[in-house]
Amino acid sequence: MSLSKAAAIVGAAEAIEIGYLEEPITSLQLHIEAIKAVSDQTGIPISDIEGVFSTGWSSELSEHLGIHPKYIDTTSVGGCSFEMHVHHALLAVYAGVIDVALVSHGQNGWSARRIGGGGHRGGDPTAPATQMSMSYGFSGAPSNYSHAMVSHNHKFGTTPEDFAHVAVVTREWATLNPRAVMHSRETHEFGGPITLDDVNNSRIISWPLTLLHCCLVTDHGGAVLIAKPEIAKSLKTNPVWIAGAAENMSHSNMLEMDDFTATSAYASGQAAYEMAGLGADDMELALLYDSFTLTAAITAEMLGLAPRGEGYKLWKDGHAAPGGRLPINTNGGGLSFNHSGMYGMHLLIEAYRQLSGTAEDEVNGIKGKQTNARTCVVNGTGGSLSTTGTLVLVAD
Amino acid sequence: MPYNKPVPKPSPLTQPFWDGAKEGKLMLPKCVACERVHWYPRHICPFCHSMNIEWIEGSGEGRIYNYAIQNRAFGGWAEEAPFVTAYIDLDEGDRMVTVLRGVDATDPTSIKIGSKVKVEFEQASDDIYIPFFRVVEDSS
Repeated sequence: MSLSKAAAIVGAAEAIEIGYLEEPITSLQLHIEAIKAVSDQTGIPISDIEGVFSTGWSSELSEHLGIHPKYIDTTSVGGCSFEMHVHHALLAVYAGVIDVALVSHGQNGWSARRIGGGGHRGGDPTAPATQMSMSYGFSGAPSNYSHAMVSHNHKFGTTPEDFAHVAVVTREWATLNPRAVMHSRETHEFGGPITLDDVNNSRIISWPLTLLHCCLVTDHGGAVLIAKPEIAKSLKTNPVWIAGAAENMSHSNMLEMDDFTATSAYASGQAAYEMAGLGADDMELALLYDSFTLTAAITAEMLGLAPRGEGYKLWKDGHAAPGGRLPINTNGGGLSFNHSGMYGMHLLIEAYRQLSGTAEDEVNGIKGKQTNARTCVVNGTGGSLSTTGTLVLVAD
Repeated sequence: MPYNKPVPKPSPLTQPFWDGAKEGKLMLPKCVACERVHWYPRHICPFCHSMNIEWIEGSGEGRIYNYAIQNRAFGGWAEEAPFVTAYIDLDEGDRMVTVLRGVDATDPTSIKIGSKVKVEFEQASDDIYIPFFRVVEDSS
């Protein structure tokens, strides 16, 4: 048996309620709701879970569930951690250590403002990189990612307006997904379609990034189950095969990022394609971490979906849009669907829905938009364009 | 007015840097084995993995690799927003992050990548002096 397709994602589900929750919710509850939902969806009892993968929570989750997993992984390197969890789960199943793995996510990015929590690790103030960067007024992800936009503009002659197309097209997808926060005026006062002018004229956050270049900060929980082929083929759900999986990193602190326009998604993408025996041209769908418009556009370049410097054209020319040749971020993305702080699980769930042919069905009771894609490249980006995990997934 | 922005707490690894800063010197770690300067301070050279690292006094000069504007910020920095954060390629090699002095944050495109900068220090506490960089010559 080869490593490629040695395991499949056999189900993917979300917490009961996601988005801007009226009643504050904890990260733990978001985890548990999603785990229960994916167990019900697949028919795999929670007691059959042998490996638990989460961003630091695996022992607490297992204890809460009353299970005793024999493989425990707490990789927590930002929003791409979940793609890495899938990579690690594939390896563990391939090695015969476990037959069923749970990857779980719960993060009350929105509720944390009222009740605390959030799932972010605190930095170590004594770390040398922290000492040498903490004095300069950076205030979270936008204040770092704005630097990458400036570099891309400088190096390739692009403009923030070019990247605004990413926000507009991604919003178009959100209008097709009733579970997206920005689906419509009914779901959010600023929901529904947006224009380039809306993006360009929205509030400045960290020049050149305006508000609509930035992702949402919501509550979200999600879980996927991964199983060996014999189990995957026996379930009521359709398997989605893990054909390629890889991870990489270029830095942790942006101080160590050589080129602000290039990420390790090039390396993780190449390795994932190679494992899958497929290339960028074979991909019929792409789910690209869009913490910011530029994150998705640069990732498209790194994964070979567009030439260097021209990632934004996939959106500008309509290829990434509904009906386009390469649909991207069909759930509405971190920009307009949901983004709890670590978006990697949201990518996995949408990839599963599309490739299992259930995006039009009642996954979580909500209809979606079916792309009929058979192949999908998924790329998570963590930290400050620091860490990446790439998956090549194929339909059964 | 007392300094009201985040003040780093030195560790044994970084103490020589802060000792130098107090005297107006930009001290940089340099690998004795491969003779390359690296930033930030490390226990091991990130280029050749020698643990034989010395401190040298840098020129305090470099060029802007990249910048962006912080239009909002927290704590003491909120009062200064908008301000300009920048990454500086040092003449000795490798890169520091800073807030730029001598630039107009309300006119972002007036700031030029490649412009020459020089370090200056601001007193933040009795012992901590924080390096900032001032544009001394525009790139054009």
